[in-house]
Amino acid sequence: MKTILSLNNVHKHFGSIHAIRGLTLDVPSGQILGLLGPNGAGKTTSIRIITGVLPPSRGNASIEGLDTIDHSIQVRKKIGYLPESAPLYREMRVVDYLRYRAALYSLRGRVRTDAVNRAIDLCRLREARSRVIGELSKGYRQRVGLAAALLHDPPLLILDEPTSGLDPAQVAETRKLIRDLAGRRSMILVSHVLPEVEKTCDRIVILARGKIRADGTTHDLLAGASGSPRFLIEARAPDAQAFRGALVTVPDAQMVDIISEEPSGWRRALVSFSSGAADPRPLLAEVCARSNWPLRELRAETASLEELYIRLVERADGEEAAA
Amino acid sequence: MTPLFAIARREFASFFRSSTGWVIIALYLLLSGFYVAFVTLKPNDPASMRAFFSVSRWLLLVVAPAISMKLLADEFRAGTIEPLAAAPVSEWAVVFGKYLGAFAFLLAMLAPTLLYVALLEHLANPDYGPILCGYLALLLTGALYLAVGTLASSLTQNQVVALLLTLFFFIGMEVIATQVAVMLGPPWDRPLFSLSLSRRVEDFARGVVDTSHLVFFTVLSAWFLILAVVRLESRRWR
Repeated sequence: MKTILSLNNVHKHFGSIHAIRGLTLDVPSGQILGLLGPNGAGKTTSIRIITGVLPPSRGNASIEGLDTIDHSIQVRKKIGYLPESAPLYREMRVVDYLRYRAALYSLRGRVRTDAVNRAIDLCRLREARSRVIGELSKGYRQRVGLAAALLHDPPLLILDEPTSGLDPAQVAETRKLIRDLAGRRSMILVSHVLPEVEKTCDRIVILARGKIRADGTTHDLLAGASGSPRFLIEARAPDAQAFRGALVTVPDAQMVDIISEEPSGWRRALVSFSSGAADPRPLLAEVCARSNWPLRELRAETASLEELYIRLVERADGEEAAA
Repeated sequence: MTPLFAIARREFASFFRSSTGWVIIALYLLLSGFYVAFVTLKPNDPASMRAFFSVSRWLLLVVAPAISMKLLADEFRAGTIEPLAAAPVSEWAVVFGKYLGAFAFLLAMLAPTLLYVALLEHLANPDYGPILCGYLALLLTGALYLAVGTLASSLTQNQVVALLLTLFFFIGMEVIATQVAVMLGPPWDRPLFSLSLSRRVEDFARGVVDTSHLVFFTVLSAWFLILAVVRLESRRWR
């Protein structure tokens, strides 16, 4: 598959601050990539390097094989960019702003009119087209920024924190819009909102302290993150000691944590097994049946993306503190 | 429409979308009109616009930096420089487009003063040579003020700082060309005198169009605009 974006050992220094540290990344055409990371991870700096707004201090970035600095103008024609908080000229009317942006991409005449109308339709801005941008809600302004990024129908769309600062209804609306746009082109979605990235993206890259800490599909990341498999079991056992004692006898069981107990005798436990062990659920159920303990719940417990994210960010912070 | 003219058009229109443009025009016309009414239109005086051009040059020293202060500083402050920098537009087009928009606004501000000329024509029989030269001087000084203002605006995101930088640059230039030149004496005084905008404008007011003055204003304006382009381009330097 054709590579739309390639970052090769990219570094960026701001004085003594080493913001990006050897970023290497290839994005195939058509992929929706989620760039996750805490504030200060280097997400926005990476995006600015990709869009050619900032040069890398070392290494290079290219779009469809064109260096973002050496072929800056050609590269910028291939990218639609919605910066964080969608900076716009607040005194302009929506349609005038979009016409102006289209002219910056050298769209003229009928082509420009069609591009503006298409972007207005795609971003559901029809009723706001003649309104002054400064008078619009933040959600609408975000949509105007998105429409401006789509005008020239770019093969790569970059959205930096597109739902930042929006209320829940606006977040839902913007996410729906992003999902509608996904699949038509390559997209990089920068965010620190995990569910947003998890739901929308084919691939997730977690960035912390300027380095890639994880890279893969949501499924791959979670599979790699979960370590030893864990199972949650809930049964009515006479006491916690007996419950733990019975569960620990299951082959390959490594650790049993009683996580809750009810006065009626229902107890929940989390049982960890060594990696590669066969599915222990039949054996766990059998232990309860043998002791005549009614079973209410038995399921595999998977790590969440949030747990993985926090673990990776904490590890990055720990490394930084140690250095 | 090319990107350069799209930028120029947006910039020009932006002065009229906010109160700033209207206030600048109103204050300039009020003050210059006051001068015309009470100094130029005196019975038995010659039908000359010299007083108007003289006061206009000083008014422009404040008005032009007020026009140019927002050109790039406001883009930095509002963050709109980022989508502009990500668009396929060269820094030349950004700087010259904005400059062109500001210069067009300057023309729009000066256009109503042609009524003063019409009034003079109605009341007397003015000599049009010095009037044309006066307008040429206003345009050239305005162009230079705006070019320096564009550079100042590219150096900061604070519009007031951009205005003050421009204002004090020209005040400093005039002080060097007059006070410092006299203090230093020969051989420094002659090159320093040549920096004086007042002396050059005085020549225009007398109806003299000296090519060296035309070259001075044009080259200096271009030079400051090039510096503004370099300043913007430096953001992309490795």
